[in-house]
This record gives sequence, C-alpha cells and structure tokens, in this order.
Amino acid sequence: MNKVKQKDLILYSGLIILGLAAPYLFSAFKVQLTYLCVLIVLAMTWNLQGGEMGYNSFGNILFYGLGMYLTASVQVGMFFSLAEWTESGGEKTFVHTTAQYFQGMGVGLLVAAIVPTIVAGAIGYAILGLRGHYFAICTLGLGIAAGEIAGGIEIIGAGQGFTTPPFPAEIVDPEARGQFFYFLSFLVLVLAFVFVKYIYGSRFRLILNAIRDNEDKAEAMGIQTMKYKIVGWMCSAFFCGLAGGIMGGLIGYIDSTDVAFDGREMGVFMVLMAILGGKGTLWGPIIGATLFHFFKEGLWTFILGWQYVALGVLIVVIVVYFPEGLMGWLREKYPERFGEVIDEKDRKAQVELK
Amino acid sequence: MNKLVKLFITSISAITLTLVSFTSSFAKVDGEYIVLGSAISLTGKYSSNGVHTQNGYNMAVDRINKMGGVKVGGKSYKFEIIYYDDESNPKRAAQLAERLIKQDGVHYMLGPYSSGLTKAIAPVTEKYKIPMVEANGASRSLFTKGYKYLFAVLSPANQYLEVAIDLAVEKNGGKPVRIAQAFEQDAFSQDVRLGILDAAKRTGSEIIIDDKLPKELNDMAATLAKVKATKPDVLVVSGHTKGALTAIRQISEMKVDVPMLAMTHCDAAKLSKQHGKNSEYALCASQWHKNLSYKDKFFGSGKKYDKDFKKEFGYAPPYQSAESSAALLVFKDAFERANSFDRDKVRDALVDTEMQTFYGNIKFGPGGQNVAKPMILFQVRCKGDTCENKVVAPTKWASDKFYHPIPKWSERG
Repeated sequence: MNKVKQKDLILYSGLIILGLAAPYLFSAFKVQLTYLCVLIVLAMTWNLQGGEMGYNSFGNILFYGLGMYLTASVQVGMFFSLAEWTESGGEKTFVHTTAQYFQGMGVGLLVAAIVPTIVAGAIGYAILGLRGHYFAICTLGLGIAAGEIAGGIEIIGAGQGFTTPPFPAEIVDPEARGQFFYFLSFLVLVLAFVFVKYIYGSRFRLILNAIRDNEDKAEAMGIQTMKYKIVGWMCSAFFCGLAGGIMGGLIGYIDSTDVAFDGREMGVFMVLMAILGGKGTLWGPIIGATLFHFFKEGLWTFILGWQYVALGVLIVVIVVYFPEGLMGWLREKYPERFGEVIDEKDRKAQVELK
Repeated sequence: MNKLVKLFITSISAITLTLVSFTSSFAKVDGEYIVLGSAISLTGKYSSNGVHTQNGYNMAVDRINKMGGVKVGGKSYKFEIIYYDDESNPKRAAQLAERLIKQDGVHYMLGPYSSGLTKAIAPVTEKYKIPMVEANGASRSLFTKGYKYLFAVLSPANQYLEVAIDLAVEKNGGKPVRIAQAFEQDAFSQDVRLGILDAAKRTGSEIIIDDKLPKELNDMAATLAKVKATKPDVLVVSGHTKGALTAIRQISEMKVDVPMLAMTHCDAAKLSKQHGKNSEYALCASQWHKNLSYKDKFFGSGKKYDKDFKKEFGYAPPYQSAESSAALLVFKDAFERANSFDRDKVRDALVDTEMQTFYGNIKFGPGGQNVAKPMILFQVRCKGDTCENKVVAPTKWASDKFYHPIPKWSERG
C-alpha cells in the first residue's frame, strides 16, 4: 500500500512541476495550455454525472456560460455602470486600474462559482426526477434557452456581445496576461482534481455508482437518491462556473450563443472528451481532454474546412472501436495493471472454450 | 502501474520535444515574403462571406505580387497569407489570433469576417501591438475602444441604412414614417439597428415593429405576419447573407406588401441571381459598387475589378471581396511609406494613410474607421428575367432613379 502511494506521489509531483513549468517551457502555447486546463476541468466534472451517476447532462454549459457572464459583470459592475459599459457605440472609455482588475476578477470568480452552484441546486431539484434520455433532452434545452435569453438582455450586451475588461495596461509585459490566465486555470484544475480524487475515495462515489447501476434498488437500500443527485450536479456547477469565468476573461469577448452558452461546441466537447478517455474513471476524462485538444489543435489547421468532418469520423471511431473509452479499452487489454486480479487458470479455460 | 507511469513520462517528454521544436518556425518576413496572418470563417454560419473575404485577399495578393510586390529598403518583397478557419466562432478566432502571433510569428494581421469576430481578435492584436487592417468588422463599438493597432477600410455599421430612412422620409413628403425592423442577434446587425434608431429619432419616425432574429437564421415569418397586419412604410432587415435570402424568400411566399424594403448583404447573397424578380425593388446598403468612379493602378477601376474577379472566381464580386482586396493595398502602401518592417513604424504609416483605391478613398479616423468613404445604396431592378443592382444614392453616383413605392404583389407579373 505504502509503495503505491510513493509512486503516486512521484507522479503527482511530476505533473505539478510540469504544470508549473509549462508556460515557461512552451511560452508560445500558453493560451492553448489554458484551454487544455479548462477542458480537463469541464470533462472531469461532467464525468461526475455522466460517468459516475449515469445522468448524461448536456446542461453543464449553462453553468459555464453563467460563470462567464457573472465574472465579467461583477468585474465591470464593481467599478463602473454596467449599462454604460455594454452600451454599444458609447463614446466613453472606462479603464480598470491594475488593482481594480484583479479585485474585480477575484470577486467575480467567487460569484461565478457560488451562483451556478445554487442555480444547479434549484434546477436539479426541478428536473433531476427525470431519468435517462428525458434528463439528457431536458438539459439540452437548458443551454439553448439560456443562450437565447442572454441574447436579449440589454445590460449584458444582448446580441452585441460583452467585451470583458482588458488586461490592465499598466502591466507592460505582454506575456503577463497569458501567464496569469494559465496559472489561474491550472489552480482550478488542481482544485478540481483534488476534489474529484477525494470523491473517488469516498462513499459518495459509491452512492453515485449505485444510482447509475440501479436507481430503484439504491432507493430501496435507503439512499435518498434525489439529494445525492442534486449535490453531485452542484459540485460540477461549481467548477464549470469557475472555468467559464476564466475563459471569459481570456477570450475577452462574450457572445451569448457562440462563446458563453456554446452548447454546440463546448457543451458537446465536454461529453465527447469524457467518453473518449473513458467515462467513470478518474484519469479517463483527463486523458480524453488532452488527446482531444492535441487532435484539435494539431490536425484541424491542416484540414481547413474539413475539421468537423474529421471530428465526426473521430466520434464514430470512438463509439465503434472504443465504446468504453481509452481507459476502458486499456483496462480490458491489461486488467492486471489496473489492479484486477486474474485467475490464470480461469483465463486459460476461457480461451480454450473460445 | 510502474510501466504505465514510465509510458506516461516518455510520452510527455516526447510531446515536450515536439512542441519545443515547433516554436518559432516562421518569421514575420520570411526570405522574400512578408507573412500576414488571418483567421477566416471557412465553415459555420459566415462561411459564404468568409470565402468572399478570402477570395478578395487572395486576388490582391496575386495582383500585388505579380506587379512587382512591395518595395521596402530597395528590395522587393511578396505577400503571403497564413489562413486558419475560425469556424465563425469568436472564441476560436481569438485563440487563432494568439496562435498566428505567438506560434507562427506573424507580425501583421488581416481581419476576419464579421464584427463579432473582429471584436474577439482586436484585444489580442492590441495586446501584442500587431497592426491589423480589417475589411469586414463594421460595428461602431470597435472604434470606440481606443484601439491603436486596428484599421478598418470600411464605413461603420450604423451608417449602413440610416440613409434609407432619410430617403423614406423624403418620399413621404418630409413627414415621419412608420418603421418595421428585424435584426439578427449579432454585433453587426445590432449596430445597423442602432443607426436606424438614431435616424428614427432624428426624423421623428416611429418604430412599430422591432424584432430580433436568431443567429442561425432561416425563418422570419412571425415578423412578416406582423408587417402584413400593421402596414408600415418601411421594412428594414439585416442578418448577413442568410438574413437577406430569408427575407426575400418569405416576403415573396407570403406576398407581403410594403412600400419600401431596405436590407444589407444583398450582393453577398447574390439576391438578384438567386431570387431574380422576387428580389426586385429591394434597397440595399453597400460599401462598394463596381460603377463607382474610383481608380488605382493595381486593379484599375471597379468595372475592371469586377471583370477580373469574375474571371478568377466565376462570380461577381460582392463588396466584401472588394474591401478585402483594398485592405492589402493599404498594407502595401503603408509598408512602402514606412520603408521598414518595424511594427510601430508600419503602424504610424497606417495612421497617415490617405489614398485612393478602386474601392474608394481611404483615410483613417482616430478610432481606426475609414472616414473618407460614404456608403451607397443600390436597388435591385429587373429587365425581363435578368436583374441587376443599380446605384440610387448618393446622387453623385446614381445610375438610376430610386423606384418608390414598391408595387403590390398582385400587380407584379
């Protein structure tokens, strides 16, 4: 037991060092690395429902978008009039001082974490009674509705979009912005990982699994399934909100349906990444997100105009050849590496039977 | 587990090595080439206009390179453009701008298609102090942010249809008109809307319908039903190419009678070709028309550009292509005047731009918008089955008289 822990320690400290050194090693790739961190957070937290609880949610994008708008609104609203900021064609220019920018960002992220969590609780209370496909379709509607509603609210820019506060001009170093957002997203990634890892060792996960495997039986066992389902979703919402807040600041421009409530891309990507890596595993979504991001960044520019066709092919390949994801496939191939004990005699007997 | 960890570490170091070796493979000036970067919508909802933009860029690059290139420091350089597909998505566009600048080492940028995407890219180019000449971001809010490295060869969006309202008031004997309007929910169209609001206020006109259309626009029957019921004097629609096509399709299907129909993107949508007689009398805002009398030595006149473009790409150039070609001419001019590849010198040269191109006069205002060129309005007119866009305003270039009011559908053949 101790030995395994030591190996884990080496792995984790290695990864953290790599994570901290990455923006210096690959200075030109900081923005892509920030995206990667955010994608991993989204995939990992989606996995909590989709993988562990068996509730396929397309609605997590709601919390992501909410976090994005909230962070930007708070960051602006704390110091200026939000309506004047978003009014297009306004002649006034507002400039955040360095202190204002970071204060606003800090408070904004806090709000962006808390409010979506509460919203998840409220919505979850209303719709988590739905099961299977019904839940999936219902959450699909959530993201679309949110996008349309946000596109009609004048104070957050409506169809014009919302330009988030620019990084303070007093910081002259052009690398500083990239580094700031990278480390912020890396911090959230580490937090999310520690949290999910903790859940993986807890009774909470077993309850989620029980809900996935047979909700009625779980209920019969005396588990208040509704309560756990809601809490599970709230956990995801917390991190989705944070991720959204960071992305809003990084992109610098929030559009209601294309950037914030971007169910067509981010909303689908988070599901895809988790499935690609293997849902219901700790490392699956992380590996899935990483591979997906490399695939996207590496290949897409070489097949200009055809990238979505390639993505479609990728989805088909995953579903047909790796229905359990990469982790699932590895597990089937090398079960002993996953700590599964195999009776050699039994295995041979099975092979002979075949 | 041990092997897995080893495998993991090996693969990470392999990736590290590849990435490190990838960095800085390009430079701003590569041998005899000046490398420009652009994120363009080749897929997604703006793909047709993205291609118009790209064709405009490519046409100008070929022409300039063929005619001696760009002369800097006594040496002749050629233009080269690195394109990425931004999928009509602002998030992607911002990311690609970062990538062009940081990884491909691009020091000069050309704009994307649409205001929304330009809004997403401008903060990035501004941060790295990269001069960007853009030809397709017209939203007024782009020019009030104090950007120093953004230069637009086109007139701002709020000017697109303001003239149309003035025209309607004039035709109404100087009395205020009743306006019905429907705009797509995007930065550009919403800015056109603000222009109409200003014009309505100025003329005392009343807005009786003010609808928003979704982004993936393919139905506006609800708005048209209201128009049928309330009978406004003017109907204004703006929603890029899809907006123009949808409006004409449904207006003709539902036989909506309205005395004046003002739109944007008619030529990009090839309205007169696609809908023929159904699109007749539509009034369209345009940045450019081939009949205008501007000239330059690369493309000659607008008519010549039209001919050459048709030969090259097989369709008549919409203004989106023309303005994109003009962006390259602006860059060439600035490089030669700066006589340097220093970004700040090029930027200063851009500020001082004052030139005529086949597309129009170009001189940048303090916000970066082109202040030397008016918008024009044309009207679709048909002779038999062939329809054409005829310039009707401003009077200086008008080749035809503005036809008003639009005859009722029952009277149209």
